[in-house]
Amino acid sequence: MPETPRYFRALEWGALLALLGCGLWVFLGTPVESSQGFVQKIMYLHVPSVITTYLAFFVVFVTSIAYLWKRDLKFDRIAKSSAEIGLVFCTMVLTTGMFWGKPTWGTYWVWDARLTTTLLLFLIFVGYFVLRMSVPDRDKEARLASVLGVIGVLDIPIIHKSVEWWRTLHQPSTLFKTEAGAAKPSMPPELLYPLFACMLAMALFYGYLLLMRYRVECGDDTIQEHIANHPPEGSRA
Amino acid sequence: MKTRTKFVIGGLVIFSTLAAISIQGLQEATVFFYTPQEVLAAPADFENKTIRIGALVQPGSVEWNARQIQLAFKVTEDSKHFIPVVYQGVKPDMFREGQGVVVEGKMQGEVFRAQQLLVKHSEDYTVDPEHQKSKEAYYQSLSQ
Repeated sequence: MPETPRYFRALEWGALLALLGCGLWVFLGTPVESSQGFVQKIMYLHVPSVITTYLAFFVVFVTSIAYLWKRDLKFDRIAKSSAEIGLVFCTMVLTTGMFWGKPTWGTYWVWDARLTTTLLLFLIFVGYFVLRMSVPDRDKEARLASVLGVIGVLDIPIIHKSVEWWRTLHQPSTLFKTEAGAAKPSMPPELLYPLFACMLAMALFYGYLLLMRYRVECGDDTIQEHIANHPPEGSRA
Repeated sequence: MKTRTKFVIGGLVIFSTLAAISIQGLQEATVFFYTPQEVLAAPADFENKTIRIGALVQPGSVEWNARQIQLAFKVTEDSKHFIPVVYQGVKPDMFREGQGVVVEGKMQGEVFRAQQLLVKHSEDYTVDPEHQKSKEAYYQSLSQ
């Protein structure tokens, strides 16, 4: 494995400092929201996690199609790496959502359409990794996982629209609210700008994680290939 | 019969059963709550059934009995159809007049007996322009 390139370190520090800066801004420089009070600060973790989950699984969607088209394992490695990070961020969405729901709604969990479809996304991608682990052949694994990856990501538009299509406990979208056809987020700029900053910082952190994870994945495939080509002495392989 | 055919038939049976169960479940689950108007239009359908009602708390109707830990209020969606709700339990922090709520329980005659009281919050976020004056005083005002 080659030495860590310098821009990796730059990205690493950039992401960490951006996250730290956002934390300071949110807790020291952002006003308290009127109706929810201090607990509304969870939004600065919850919403960027949602956006990053969407981003990570969108990358899975694109690279899975690219794999099925070109049959190049490079795309499958990106898809696998991104799906793993997406699953972590999806877990964060569910947990921060629960911690937010208890003080505001009065419950950690309800089976409304928004929460149920989000849990479904989480379970689909848990299944995605079970599927990967259960197929020994590398190319077959990539093929099956790509198909499941593409289908699984189709849950995201359903999650996004769930608050409009069904009656839910979860409130409708604040950021994508429109007024007379034009986008008009229902949030004053003092709350909105730190939120955008948090999203950017989280996306940067995702980019860093994806690059690192992808390198590990490439190394892993190299080792597996080496083992397959050089069976240890005395083995039956 | 070939093994492959057996697998296909077995798979189809399992798949269609699962599909039938999930479609049935989805039809019930997608109606997360009913509106007061729907409940009042067909009271017989909701008799002795645990249901959820989602509506707004009518301003001026809230009676909080701290001694008995009982909260009574009226919910409405259109300010025309009202259902009185009685909830035995602690008043949630976010509970306000005019706020959206989802109550789970049963209709008992005219009154809805709620076992669970969930507070919806709006997608509109606001900042009090006075917030910079005194943070301490502002936090105190929130907890009241």
